[in-house]
Amino acid sequence: MTQPVEKRTVDMQIIGDWVEPHTRVLDLGCGRGELLDYLVQTKHVSALGVDLDFAKITACVHRGVPAYQGDMIACMASFPARHFDRVICSRTVQELHAPATVIAEALRVARSVTVGFVNHGFWKNRLDLLVRGRKARNAVYTTAWAESRPANPVSVADFEDFCAAEGIRITRRAHLLGDWKTPCPALPNLLAGYALYDLTR
Amino acid sequence: MTDENQANPSPAPASAPPYLADDDVGFVAPHDFVCPHPFTFKNGQQLTGLTLRYETYGTLNATRDNAVLICHALSGNHHAAGWHTPDDKKPGWWNNLIGPGKAVDTRRFFVICANVPGGCSGSTGPSSINPATNEAYGLRFPALTILDMVRAQKLLLDHLGVAELHTVIGGSMGGMTAMLFAIEFPRFTRRLLAMATTAREGAQAIAFNEVGRQAIMQDPAWLNGDYTREGGPRVGLAIARMMAHITYLSDASMDRKFGRRTIQSREQSPQLRTELAQQPAAADFNLQFEVESYLRHQGQTFINRFDANSYLYITRALDQFDLDHAYGSLENAFAPVLAESLVVGFTSDWLFPPEQNRQIAQALLRAGKRASYAELATDLGHDSFLLESEELYALIRGFLERAPAQTLDFAI
Repeated sequence: MTQPVEKRTVDMQIIGDWVEPHTRVLDLGCGRGELLDYLVQTKHVSALGVDLDFAKITACVHRGVPAYQGDMIACMASFPARHFDRVICSRTVQELHAPATVIAEALRVARSVTVGFVNHGFWKNRLDLLVRGRKARNAVYTTAWAESRPANPVSVADFEDFCAAEGIRITRRAHLLGDWKTPCPALPNLLAGYALYDLTR
Repeated sequence: MTDENQANPSPAPASAPPYLADDDVGFVAPHDFVCPHPFTFKNGQQLTGLTLRYETYGTLNATRDNAVLICHALSGNHHAAGWHTPDDKKPGWWNNLIGPGKAVDTRRFFVICANVPGGCSGSTGPSSINPATNEAYGLRFPALTILDMVRAQKLLLDHLGVAELHTVIGGSMGGMTAMLFAIEFPRFTRRLLAMATTAREGAQAIAFNEVGRQAIMQDPAWLNGDYTREGGPRVGLAIARMMAHITYLSDASMDRKFGRRTIQSREQSPQLRTELAQQPAAADFNLQFEVESYLRHQGQTFINRFDANSYLYITRALDQFDLDHAYGSLENAFAPVLAESLVVGFTSDWLFPPEQNRQIAQALLRAGKRASYAELATDLGHDSFLLESEELYALIRGFLERAPAQTLDFAI
């Protein structure tokens, strides 16, 4: 099985490739600020993270990444349109209560929005339910049902349908196989373990 | 005078006194800085011989850039850490934060705390003697603003040879002072840490200040501010303090500390209580509840250490504080700031609620500044910023001590 640490690195590198140098980046659900720290060091971005957890904000502050503790929608609402160049919503979208509102608000405060998520249409995740009759568990979703946070699983097909319906333009996409490394050649809703999108209005 | 090295040949007592603890700054002595030229207040009035009483902990480094300025709140003073004498019952007011190895590490930083002008702990204020008249200034003391506190403290820092502030830190009124420091002296202030504060004193906070002032001014002993050092509006000042103290706490913390516990239940025998219960109840306005006793004690302690006119002047300075109005907008106010900022709110603070702290961080961010906002869940109310909390210490330490450039570590 692939190590989670390695998976994080791949994820970071793809987002890093998409981020333009010296731009203003907002990371929704920034955690301990690893991604933003990477972007500050490699792309010299002006970074801001948002998270709900005091300890995570402490970790960001300690590594010098500015971070805001609070609700991401309220945080974005305090900024004028196009304040940021890019909003990143990586591995957060499947835990949101109102993903459409978050993405709409992100597209207001930034030119581009990067969304990354674990594809729940991935064949292994389907098998978990179909064959085992169990909640999907993998390198990202390691916990059993009772220990898990509320999730709003999303698949590649769900997401692309949503963008089409909302008139959101997909400018770039990256579908990766189950190893989160190899580009997915076809049938991403079935074969992609992880999906990344770059969106704009 | 005994030689300090020989003073204590006997074995240390079972529990060493707190001032000997490894992470305590130990004994400290205040100093006075006398402004060498007349100090001009914001309203244009001048004062000759303005004195600031201050303390320092740690040592200024060769590049003179490791200074941390601590800004005190309304009733605070320059004694932020350490002990004056072995008989002190309590150390400086932020001793839990400042010391060797503590969150504000005095092995690393040169920490300065000064009593604000207008105060009554040694700095020139309304209770000081005007050398021109040989009488206390009283209400002839110039109208005071937070800006005057900032400018006066800047003169002190220049006098101490501080080239730039590593960080300016303050809670409540100290947070206002700290923010204004970063605005007025942007190139001098590298980091700003503002806690439990506001960019604009709101109507509720002004209202509480006004009740305090009225309690003082309606006291017949106030005499338009011309009371003697021994006299003064002691009743009014104590009431002002009792009321203000409630705004520093919270429903939950008061209930936990006092509940409905009564003085009687501690002091009366069960038999006496039964007898009293059988008598017809007479109205009783003596001390009944422990919370009453606590507040009266707070009031009584306060009148022995605080001057009523200082209370009027400083609360008025708080009321006048409105960065939005003073600079056109909060974003305009923060436009010159070069400091990296951290704003901390506390969930149970209802005097300067989290929302008002969040607005500071949001405005800094909108102005394009490097700013963070953290919110600590506590139930201790406004005074939470003084809390002994490892979480808060870790945040403050992380803000003060992170390396300028970190190496990436993927092994999370």
